[in-house]
Formats: sequence, C-alpha cells, structure tokens
Amino acid sequence: MGAYLARRSLRMAVILSFASIAVFYSLRFAPGDPSGVTLNPLAREEVRAAYRRQLGLDKPIYTQYFVYVSNLVQGKLGVSLVNGAEIWDLFKEYGKNSLILGLAAVLVTHIIGIPLGIIAAAKRNSIIDQFATAVGVLGMGIPNFWLAVLLIFLFSSKLHWLPSAGCCEPRHLVMPTIVLAAEGTAVTMRMMRASMLEQISQDFVRTHRAKGLSEWTIIGRRVARAALIPVISVAGLRIGWLIGYTLIVETIFRWPGVGYLLVDAVIRRDYPVAQFFSLLLVFTVVVANLLADLAYGIADPRIRYE
Amino acid sequence: MSNRDTLASEPSKTAGALARHWANEEIVALRPGPGRLQSAWRALSKNKLTLAGCIIALIYILLGLFGPVLAPHDYARQDLMATFLKPGSPGHLLGTDNYGRDILSRLVVAIRVSLSIGFGITAISMIVGTLAGAIAGYYRGWADTIISGIIELTWGFPLILIAVILTGAFGPGLKAIVLAVGLINWAGFARIVRAEVISLREREFVQAAHAIGVSDGRILARHILPNCLAPALVMASNYVALAIIVEAGLSFLGMGAQPPLPSLGTMIAEGKNYMLLDHWVSTIPGVTIVIIVLALNLLGDGLRDILDPRLRRA
Repeated sequence: MGAYLARRSLRMAVILSFASIAVFYSLRFAPGDPSGVTLNPLAREEVRAAYRRQLGLDKPIYTQYFVYVSNLVQGKLGVSLVNGAEIWDLFKEYGKNSLILGLAAVLVTHIIGIPLGIIAAAKRNSIIDQFATAVGVLGMGIPNFWLAVLLIFLFSSKLHWLPSAGCCEPRHLVMPTIVLAAEGTAVTMRMMRASMLEQISQDFVRTHRAKGLSEWTIIGRRVARAALIPVISVAGLRIGWLIGYTLIVETIFRWPGVGYLLVDAVIRRDYPVAQFFSLLLVFTVVVANLLADLAYGIADPRIRYE
Repeated sequence: MSNRDTLASEPSKTAGALARHWANEEIVALRPGPGRLQSAWRALSKNKLTLAGCIIALIYILLGLFGPVLAPHDYARQDLMATFLKPGSPGHLLGTDNYGRDILSRLVVAIRVSLSIGFGITAISMIVGTLAGAIAGYYRGWADTIISGIIELTWGFPLILIAVILTGAFGPGLKAIVLAVGLINWAGFARIVRAEVISLREREFVQAAHAIGVSDGRILARHILPNCLAPALVMASNYVALAIIVEAGLSFLGMGAQPPLPSLGTMIAEGKNYMLLDHWVSTIPGVTIVIIVLALNLLGDGLRDILDPRLRRA
C-alpha cells in the first residue's frame, strides 16, 4: 500500500507538471496580450512595452514558467489584471462557495441515487422501478444548462419561489444543486440498479435466503454492500465530470465559485486568474481520481495494490 | 471483457446457463461476414426503443445534411418588423426569434453544426483511438507504455474544463471545442480497444492464424479488430451525445459558435430571456437537443444489448 501510494503520487506529480506546462503555454499562445485588456486602447507602444516588461512578459516563455512556478511555491499567486484583486483572496472566497455547491451536489447525488437504485432493483418492474428508469433516462438526456433554463422559468419567473441567481443563502443554493446533481443522480441510480440486479442472482444471496435471513436484511445489507463497489469506483470519475459541469452551472446561476470565476476570466482574458484556477481544477481532478482508486480498494478488500 | 472463456470453464455454471451462453454467441455470430449484420438488424427490429433511437438519429442526420439547403430563409437575415412570430405563422413554420430570424432555418443549421462536431470528431477519434489501442494492446512494449500513460491521464478528465482552457488559448469559437473533444475522446476508444485486443490476442483463433504465418497487420485487421467493433460502437454513440452536449453548453455560455452562426446552445441562450411570453424561441432548440441526446443514449444502450450479449442482464 505504501509503495503503491508513493508510486501513484510520483505519477501524479508528473501529470501535474505536464498539465501546468500545457496550461501555461496554451494561455501564452492566446492571440492578443494582457496590455490590450488593461490599458487604454489608445496607449502608445512604449507604454505597452513597459507594461509587458513589468509583468515579465518580455522574457522567453520557459523563463516565465519557472518564475511563475517559483512564485507559486512561495505562495505569491499574483493579482487579477482586471480588478487587481489578490488571487489568494479570490481562491479563499470563491473556493469556499464552490466547495459548498459541490458537496451539496455530491450529497444529493448519492442520497437520492443509491436508495432509488436499491429500491428499483428490489421491486423490479414495479411502478417505482419504472419511475426510477424514467428519471434516469431524462436525467441523462437533458443537458444541464437547458434544465437550468427550465427550472429558472418555473421556480423564479412563474412561481416566484426561488431567486434565479445569486449567493449565498440556502435558497440560492437549491436550483444550482439540483441542476449540478441531476445527471450524476441518474447515472448513480442506473448503475446501482444494474449492479444490484447482478448481485441478486449470485450464489451468496441464495445461501442467505436458505439461512432464513429476512429479505430486507439480504437486500439492504448484504446485496447493497456488494453492489456499491462499482458505484464507488466511478464516484471519483463523477467528481471530474462534476467539476466540468460546475463551470456551466455556476455561470448560469451566477454562483460566485471557481467555475464562474474561471469562465469569466477566460472571457475577459484575465490571464493570471485563468491560469491559476485552471491549474487548481486540473489538480483537483487528478487528486479526486487518485482518491477514487483508494476508495475502491477500501470498499473491496479483494483488491490489492501492488 | 475477457471473461468469455472463464465463463465457459467455470464449474459453477449450470448446463442451462452454458447452453444459453453458447446460444447467445450464435446470435451475435462474432465471426466477420454478412451474418453478423443481418442478425444485428434482426435484433434491432425487435428492440423497439433502439429502433426508435436509430430512426431519430437518421432523421437528424438528414436534417443536418439537407436542411440548410432546403431552408426557407437565410438563417442570419433579421426582420425587426416580424419578431416573435408564433410557430405556425405563414412563411415561418417554427416562428421567429427576437431579431425576427426564421427559427426553422436557424435550427437546421444549428443541427448541422451540432452533428458535424458530434459525429465528425467522434469518427476521427474512433479511428485514431482504435489504431492506438490496437498497437498498444497487440505489440505492448514502449508503445503501450506511452499510450497507456496518455489514456490514464485523460480518463475521467472533464471535457468542459479542457474546452474552457483551450478557449482561453484560441479565443471563443468552435476550434477550442473541436480540439478538446478530439484530444480527449480518442483515448476512450484506445482504452477499450486495447483491453479487448489484449484478451483476444491470446485466443486460439489468433494463435492459429499466427501459427500458419498470417501477418500481424492481417491478423489485426481480419481477426482482432472486427471483434472490437461492438464496444467501440457503443462508446461512439455515447461520445456523440457527449460532444453535442459540450458544444451546446459552451455555445450557451458564449464560448462556442459565434454569431451569426447558430448553435442549439446559443439559440437557447438567446431565447431564455423571453421564456415568460415567447417561450418557443428557447424551447424549440431545447427540445431538439433533448430528443437527439435521448435517441443517441437509447441507441447506445440498445447496441450494447444487441452486439454484446455478455452484458445483457435480465
């Protein structure tokens, strides 16, 4: 286990350095330069050159990269080009909001998805099962931004129950959470159901039935536990997708999180902000995938790390 | 995927299960040739939902191919005297939007954009991914080390995040989306093809072909890759849907297709402010995208059942 962790961490470091170089180069590759964002369009060329020199943009890209990395290690994250905000402050504030939204969505996904999948499998072909299947098909078929438009129309424009956008009270959180959790819930439910059905036909279930265990103990404890393994194995992957969808959902609902900030920074060409938060999200995805692998092993003791 | 043989040799399986297993193999007829297509078609016509998904996808493809040619109006022509015409208005079958542009004409162009990205990039990444997966799985060695490394790096990586970062590099437009989908999706195909090839290359029929001196290329092309087709096709239909959603989502945020080129995402975004009174400006493209995504999902599920009976459960 220790050797496995060490090797995975090493590989993670390699992946992250590649990713950071890729992000750094691709943002430098962008047409136009930051002086076009901040300076007056009529600014003279000498002023622009001075501004670029001040930002260190006149040096070769690889030098800029090493300067950036060494600053990053020292905790000097820089400031936004657009409003001069400290990136560290942005990270604390927007990061917290994203974490709240993300956790809420993960909770909803599993609290609804897993029990619904268990019930659907236990009561196969019942009305509940058909309802769950319909929810699953729709949840996977409706793109999240379109679901957001529909929910805003229904709950904000028509019923006036919920605010269409904003932060940070619980009522602001309701719709973004539903939208962010919708697809994950559908996938989790479908996987749980399929996995349960696979386990129910196994020999150990027959043994438990022969022993005279109650059906609910068998389904709820024994079968569900075994059926959880594949669901957990994709939970890490789901976090990656969740982070991707956060970009869209936060922007629609103007939820001041990292996704919203990144999309905004990319549109406004606020390079230092775009760069840092791209790297942050890449880092989060890579770590989530590692944690998912470890969780897989905890859920299924038969898996050994070599 | 490699459990075909273990299934047959597992002592706990009853004779009935084995018989059913072989019978399934008969239906799928994994050998190459016309028999497989025929039986796939027979299975498809029995599975109503899959057939529906298939037909809907075909209708969309036809709309995307011929719709823009047959469209009644120029998709970009504004007519500020005729904004928000209801669907069914004379001359405007699906009505007009906030600039008085004909929604039907815009819709067919948007479908063409969506499907070009969805099918076009998926087709290319399927070819590249299949080749990479086959090379990695068949020859192993350093090629496998590199390809597996890339697969592991991209697996589970959110497409949207990469598309947004690339938008930062290239500016808003379809280029970033095309690149993001292309960069990520081929690895998905490579991943499953590699796994299939690794299990297939140890099978008797491959060993036999090898023993009588069939060349590596021919073994791959004639004996191994046809057997990888089923999982790759299932994956392809899901990836087409995913690419369509990502394109529409980024266009919705204003990072994808740029005006005046319509996309389902931009059409929804433009109409969302008029939902209360003139909802069709947004609902028509919204329903359009839900239908194609549902159809592709049904098609994918059905294909998996038809082409890969080992996964067909209950």
